[in-house]
Amino acid sequence: MAPDNHAHDPGQSPGNGSDHHDRFVFPKWTNRLREAVALAALGGVVYLVVLVAGVFAPKNSAIGYAPEQPVAYSHSLHAGELGIDCRYCHVTVETSARANVPPTATCMNCHKTIRTTSPKLALVRQSAETGQPIHWVRVHDLPDFVYFNHAGHVQSGVGCVSCHGRVDRMEVVEQVAPLTMSWCLGCHRNPDPNLRPREFVTAMEWAPEGDAAVLGAKLRAERKIAPSTDCATCHR
Amino acid sequence: MPRPILYVLLVLVALSLIPMGLLYRSHHQAKSQPRIQVVYDMDQQFYYKAQTENPFFPDGVSMHKPPTGTVARGMLAADDTYFRGVAHDTTFVQDIPVKVDRQMLERGQQRFNIYCAPCHGGSGNGNGIVNARAQALAEGTWTPPTDLTSQAVIDRPSGHIYNTISKGIRNMPSYAAQIAPEDRWAVTAYVRALQLSRNATINDVPAANRAALGR
Repeated sequence: MAPDNHAHDPGQSPGNGSDHHDRFVFPKWTNRLREAVALAALGGVVYLVVLVAGVFAPKNSAIGYAPEQPVAYSHSLHAGELGIDCRYCHVTVETSARANVPPTATCMNCHKTIRTTSPKLALVRQSAETGQPIHWVRVHDLPDFVYFNHAGHVQSGVGCVSCHGRVDRMEVVEQVAPLTMSWCLGCHRNPDPNLRPREFVTAMEWAPEGDAAVLGAKLRAERKIAPSTDCATCHR
Repeated sequence: MPRPILYVLLVLVALSLIPMGLLYRSHHQAKSQPRIQVVYDMDQQFYYKAQTENPFFPDGVSMHKPPTGTVARGMLAADDTYFRGVAHDTTFVQDIPVKVDRQMLERGQQRFNIYCAPCHGGSGNGNGIVNARAQALAEGTWTPPTDLTSQAVIDRPSGHIYNTISKGIRNMPSYAAQIAPEDRWAVTAYVRALQLSRNATINDVPAANRAALGR
């Protein structure tokens, strides 16, 4: 409040109406100021903790990342409705650390003769003509200090769906797993529920007949799968 | 409490709800923006990774094709019969030049179902799901895939089938980038198996197994 108010109405306190001395008197409501400030400070700390924890929580920061792609390619149509195997496009997933994003040539295998005038595919046709790759936006991006090998996981019988979710139902690909270290370690410590026979690795709807962990334990023993939890396994 | 202070406090409380609201939204909705990295660490290191852009090169990509006329070690592919399916007189080889066993056939079946079945169908008769969709869309530019179990394909030398996978034929593109030479022979062998099965008679079934077919 402006200081010249004091002369006329110090503290605006109704119970203090007779006091016309030219001095500042704390109004009555300030008696509780200390408690109020303490309460507000406590609330502020709780607020900040919730906010920071919330911002860093993978569910809020990483899961649900679904960037808009330059071409509105629908996995739900190609992998879901048409049932094309993941490996038709992601050729290197079984033999290389990286699951490749397919070259435009793979799109043109079919789209050379199907939907040849669709405006949705204009960028694909342009890329095929010029040889300039399409700027697909990467969805699943681990930190660069982490080594991950797709081939190792696929060959061990970890299904695509275990980490990538039901891609065959995604119109726009979305990250469903936190891809955090604790999440990786969770499976490395107990891989059984996520192991399946190799022939069903890309099968999105596959589920074991009995308990997944029982089958997983059997597969793990058969194939001598021993996921390491050493630091140097991923941070190499 | 004086009104102005009360108003300021109320405004602060209202403003404090905005970050919480954003948090709630990010918890429940898909996000088009990547994660905000408060602590940058070494998450994104400044080197070029597979399939990334690279402004240093004229074509703008970091993954380069081998220069024309060069061959990587171990990639010479000099054996014409194995890598191109042709004999010394440049005609297609009649028989598959590698050993065909059950394991190879199963590999061929798996690869066939991934790369060939979308168009040619699981049984090879040319009516795969992509063909079905193209027909449903009434695409004028679409040519129905060949029935791989037809007499015309049965009569083709195995080297011809291998070559078709490698180079493509008519509207079918090359599958060289998707199917390795070893797997092309496995697929060729599986196509032969499909041809046998599609044109089999009850006499081809061992007598002991005929009961299972109800014959």
